[in-house]
This record gives sequence, C-alpha cells and structure tokens, in this order.
Amino acid sequence: MAESPDPLSWTVLLPVVAGGLAVWYLLPSTQRRSLQYGILIGLLALAGVAGFLLRGLEDHVSQTVEAVLFFGFSGLAIVFAVLMITNRNPARSALAFAMVVLSTCGLFLLLAAPFLTAATVVIYAGAIIVTFLFVIMLSQQEGPSNANLRSREPALSTAAGFVLLATFLVGLQRVYDFRSVDRAIAHASALARADKIDPDYLSPAGALDVDNVGKHPPPPLTDKARAFVDEMRAALDRVKVAAPRGPDDRRLTDHRLVQDVENAIKFLEVSGFTYRDEQDVQSNAQTISDGLLRLKGMRDGAPQADDVLLSGYGRVEPINGAPRQLPAANVSAVGRTLFADHLVAVELAGTLLLIATVGAIAIAGTRRERPA
Amino acid sequence: MISVPHYLAVGAILFCLGLVGFLARRNLIVMFLSAELMLQGVALNFVAFSRYHGNLHGQVFTLFVIAVAACEAGIALALFLMLYRRKRSLDVSLWQSLREPGVDETTDPEPLPPGPKEEPLPRLPPAGVEPVREERQYV
Repeated sequence: MAESPDPLSWTVLLPVVAGGLAVWYLLPSTQRRSLQYGILIGLLALAGVAGFLLRGLEDHVSQTVEAVLFFGFSGLAIVFAVLMITNRNPARSALAFAMVVLSTCGLFLLLAAPFLTAATVVIYAGAIIVTFLFVIMLSQQEGPSNANLRSREPALSTAAGFVLLATFLVGLQRVYDFRSVDRAIAHASALARADKIDPDYLSPAGALDVDNVGKHPPPPLTDKARAFVDEMRAALDRVKVAAPRGPDDRRLTDHRLVQDVENAIKFLEVSGFTYRDEQDVQSNAQTISDGLLRLKGMRDGAPQADDVLLSGYGRVEPINGAPRQLPAANVSAVGRTLFADHLVAVELAGTLLLIATVGAIAIAGTRRERPA
Repeated sequence: MISVPHYLAVGAILFCLGLVGFLARRNLIVMFLSAELMLQGVALNFVAFSRYHGNLHGQVFTLFVIAVAACEAGIALALFLMLYRRKRSLDVSLWQSLREPGVDETTDPEPLPPGPKEEPLPRLPPAGVEPVREERQYV
C-alpha cells in the first residue's frame, strides 16, 4: 500500500478534539465559565472541519454554487446544533433545532429531494416545534433549576460522542479518499503511452521463456517494477468492491473487469515486464489503467451491468453510460415508489400513527391533577 | 465536486452532537430534541445515498423515519406532561430511582448559582381609586 502522507489522520483528529473541548466547555455547568474561549475553540474546530471537507477527500473542491450552498447550509446546521445542545434555555434550544431542520432542508434540496424538503419543513419546523414550545410553555419554571443548569457527566458524554465522530470521519477519509487510486491510474496510463519503456522496469534476467513458465522461477522484478505492481494491487483492492463477485457468481458481468485487471497485473509480475516485445507490456498497462478507471467510475455511481432493483419506478435508466440521475419530477416519482414498492410499509406507518395518537391521548388525557 | 462523503460527514457530525446532547443534558425536552437531531443526521445520510444510487428508496425511507419520529414526538411529549405533573420538574435525574440495581445514586454536591435578581413588580391601586400620594416625594 502506498505510504499515506497523514498516517494518523491529524487533519481529522485535530478538529474533532477541538470540537469536543468546545462542546464540553460550553455545556451547562455550575462553574462560571466565560463563553469567549468556548466560542473561539468551537470556531477553530469548525474551520478545521471545513478544511477537512475541502482538502481531506480530494485535492480541491471546485468553486460552484453548489459548493457555496453546501458549506453555508452545513455550517449553519452544525452551529445551531451546538447551540441547541449547549443552551440553558429549552425554548431557545427548540428554536435552534428549528434552524437545524431548516438548514438540513437546504441540504435535502441540494440532494434533489424537493418533496422531502417540503414535508420536513411542514412536519418538523411546523408541527413538532410548535408542540415543543407548547410543552415548554406548560412547564415554564421560575429561577435556576437542576434540569437546565447542570449536565450529567459532561466530560464522559462529550468524550463518547466525539470518539464516535472521530471514528466516523477517519473511516470516511480512508474509504473515500481516492487520490492513491488516481495516482495509480496515472502511472499505468503513462507506462502504456510511453514511447519506450523506462529500462528501470525491465527485469535484468532477460525475456521470459514462454515454453517453461511453470518450470523455472519467474525473473526477479526490479525495485521500480515491484513498486508498480504493489501500487496497482493496492489500487485494485480499493476499487474492486464496486464489482463484487456475489454469491454463485451472479454479478459476473462486472466482476470480469476485476479479473481482467488482476490477470494483467499478474502477467506483468510473472513476466518481469519483458515478454516478447514492449507492446504486450504496454497493452497490459493499458488494461490496468482502463479497468481501474471504470471500477472507480462504478464506485462514483456510474451504471453497472446488473443492479438490484425492487421495481423500475424507483430509478431512471442511465443514458449512454452517464452517472445515474434522479428524475426531475420528484413528487410523482416518490409517489410511485411509495405506493408501488413500499405499500405495506405505508399501511404500517398509518397504523402506527393511529396507535400513537390513541396512546398519547390515553397517557396525557387525564385532566385531573393529582393531589399534592 | 461536492459528493457523498461530504454529506456523510455532515450527517455524522449532526448525529454525534445529538448523542452528546442526549447523554449530557438533564432537561427531558432537550434530551428529546437531541434524539431528533440524531434522526436528522441519519435522514441526511439516507438522502445522500439515494442520490448516489440514483433511486428514490432512500428518500422514501426518510419519509418513514419522519413518520415514526412524529409518533415518537406525540408519545414522548404526552409522557413528559405526565412526568411533569408528578414531580413538577423536567429534570430527568429525579427519576433515577428507576436505575439499575447496584448503580450509585448521582448527587449534586455544588449548589446552584443564584439566579438573576428579579425587580419587584410595581404595585398598582385598584381601578377607580385615587392613588395615595406620598407627600414627601414632592417636598
């Protein structure tokens, strides 16, 4: 595996640690703390997260309207989420939660889910927040209270939450950082298109004896060739998840691509880059480059030969190998999916809502106050 | 290009902030809001994967999550009303007699900081009665 420039993932861990400190500092406590330090560390952590999202996953994020809106909405969501869990006044927490929901709805819009946006605004920011404010109004208390001014084990709970967050983010970076694969594709492609193969690759032992492949050990690889083979293996390991073999070889159509790349790497390794003429080596490098590129495209959402589908309603067929797009008529497509693929779930959700209504009335419906 | 891992990261951050709030806060309503915040993070994940896979099942799943969250909100708020009527407080630690056997009771050693001093309300006379003038005020 290629040497990672950041083996301990400090680009992720530093903002997470700073964020944990800030949240721990800002949580309600009986000690008097000045807010400025917490806010300062929190802003630093936010900037660190933005830096991770900008540089930690790919070399640069193109400056588009989408990027600006994404960073705006997610920044608002995170800031208001921190305000929500640290505010001492529950009514203000509820209002901050409403802002979180609205920001998330902006992200839903960016993800091509307009119906879900409308539904979330109506249900959450309308109904649930009003209900919360109603309950808060009913139970309005006077003066300082244990419920709002104290936290339960603030250090331990902050540590639990932020260790989990660090795990998530480091995992995301390890899984989605494709820069090593990009470098491998560039190397293979350069080797395939070079006028003359760099002699550092060529094994000094001379050409492979075709007739006695099994009898003699393969010619030893030079250091550069060994590094090339290892890099291709690592890159293939990263992307071959996109075309799994599946039980009883059902997804063979895509998996054949993985096998082609594997065979090409194996050929280069066994032959020591010196089989008959350079054309063979270069065509194998071309196979590796093309295969890695297509596998990476599959991981990015390009169509595959056989997808698992419930029905055709849920998706739109790809046009000429372009990445799959969601339908423009979102509401009708969601309705079709809902009532064609998930009809039983709809009925169950309706039953659940009815039972919940009955339960809420049964629990809270008693008008009589208990004698003190 | 903004792609799936960016949205997954934001969803993870929202989820973990909700987790911290649920564990640390003692007000029942704020705890419940934190649980809803975790649901928002999960919903963001579902919608991002829906876009990634190019089908709508993720969005439909999010709709069901919202429906279940609405049920949960109704039941939980009704329960909070009942709990409040019993103890006259939303502090969840008042119900720690429900804890597992063998776990120590949590106590609050430090006293609460005093609240802000409230200014006394002005006393007004009943309507129609001439207010008593305090003579020395005008001396």
